[in-house]
Amino acid sequence: MPFTGNRYDQERGKEEEIEDWEKRLGSQEASYINLPMNKEEYETFYKELVSAEVVTLHEFEKREIFEGCMPIEIMAKRGEDTLRFGPLKPVGFTDPRTTRRPYAVVQLRQDDVNGTIYNLVGFQTNLKYGEQKRVFSHIPGLANAEFVKYGVMHRNTYINSSELLDNTYCLKKNPNIYFAGQITGVEGYVESISSGMVVGLNVVNKLQGKEKIEFPKNTMIGALANYIATPNEKFQPMNANFGILPELGERIKDKKVKYGKLADRAIEALNAIK
Amino acid sequence: MNQEVTIIGGGLAGCEAAYQIAKQGIKVKLYEMKPTKFSEAHSNENLAEIVCSNSFKSNLHTNACGLLKEELRLLDSLLIKCADETSVPAGQALAVDREEFAKLVTKKIKENPNIEIINQEYTGEGLCIGNSEERIVNGEKYENIMIVATGPLTSDTLAKNISRLTGEDRLYFYDAAAPIVSKESIDMNIAFYRKPL
Repeated sequence: MPFTGNRYDQERGKEEEIEDWEKRLGSQEASYINLPMNKEEYETFYKELVSAEVVTLHEFEKREIFEGCMPIEIMAKRGEDTLRFGPLKPVGFTDPRTTRRPYAVVQLRQDDVNGTIYNLVGFQTNLKYGEQKRVFSHIPGLANAEFVKYGVMHRNTYINSSELLDNTYCLKKNPNIYFAGQITGVEGYVESISSGMVVGLNVVNKLQGKEKIEFPKNTMIGALANYIATPNEKFQPMNANFGILPELGERIKDKKVKYGKLADRAIEALNAIK
Repeated sequence: MNQEVTIIGGGLAGCEAAYQIAKQGIKVKLYEMKPTKFSEAHSNENLAEIVCSNSFKSNLHTNACGLLKEELRLLDSLLIKCADETSVPAGQALAVDREEFAKLVTKKIKENPNIEIINQEYTGEGLCIGNSEERIVNGEKYENIMIVATGPLTSDTLAKNISRLTGEDRLYFYDAAAPIVSKESIDMNIAFYRKPL
């Protein structure tokens, strides 16, 4: 039932012979396990998911939930096909059984060096533990899955940086206090590291009596720092994304080409100030 | 004047900041409440324990997070270096073995002579607004810079003191983590034995 390979590299090319495709798959690194679903399997899973019991629903339901970390059961309730266009989207996959694109795909990502445990990509959830076991067992290939760890809801704490901090993550009201990491409203691991970097370098400069380091707005590290420090009535946690970089000044339709140019410009700007 | 930096929180941001500062010969006190006190999501004694997912996302130049990692590598980021060194196969993404990653970061921070790790909860009574904080210890003047890097699960007492400092009353909301299953319990039989058509 499951097959391995990562999105886009696994899919059979339009002109590709089945034999060549099989050979290519065999040589690929087996980093993801993919569980294809047909329409019927998807619909069964969907029904169970949206009717499953959650923990302390009343407590968090009214609160704001960050889109990038939204519980799968809440996303599912937006519409029957929402998951198929989100974390379960089958684009880039060919089901080895049918050589066709499946109706939906659940991806499992390797979680440890030895490859003994896998996490369900995009399946952050607030279902009760028993319900997680019951509902996720409807996913083909997971009928007898052993859950090493269940999904949990957790609190996220962040300050209103858009008012409180400058673009070096320094508290405007007291220049000897800095904030770093997710408490500033940067969202994600690498983003947290990036804020720690900006703060670390700036603290060094401050103690050495040098000027503060404001990273260029066209670098990702600078764009994030600036986003966080820009007044914003509806301030929400922010991931790294190309939307926060200034535009190129030329129109490029192909997104990959555009992102490539934005990235080139960022690296160039960073090298210039190093 | 003597200089000292206090960092509250030994997560990804706190460890990166500590490393960058210590690298320049400045003394750092790194407060980490584990293992005396654990948040509802953390469970081991290491610094830089990641809980939500094991992926640091794409490594591609044409991906925003990939670009950010590239920039951080140029700036000599300790944490990205540790992630690179403990990565597991994940196609174009940088995913890590959480345990190995946290262990490596902990080792690098612990062996740094300019960083002192203090394993206790910092409740933040000292957080205040006003003139630059100066302390006199044994007749010597200290300028004290503080970095609050306490993450999404900041302890209640500290959160209250941050609220007092910033003048905000609402500080948090909720989000979620995904479940993990063992590979041997996944039904791989059919995939192994049935060849594609």
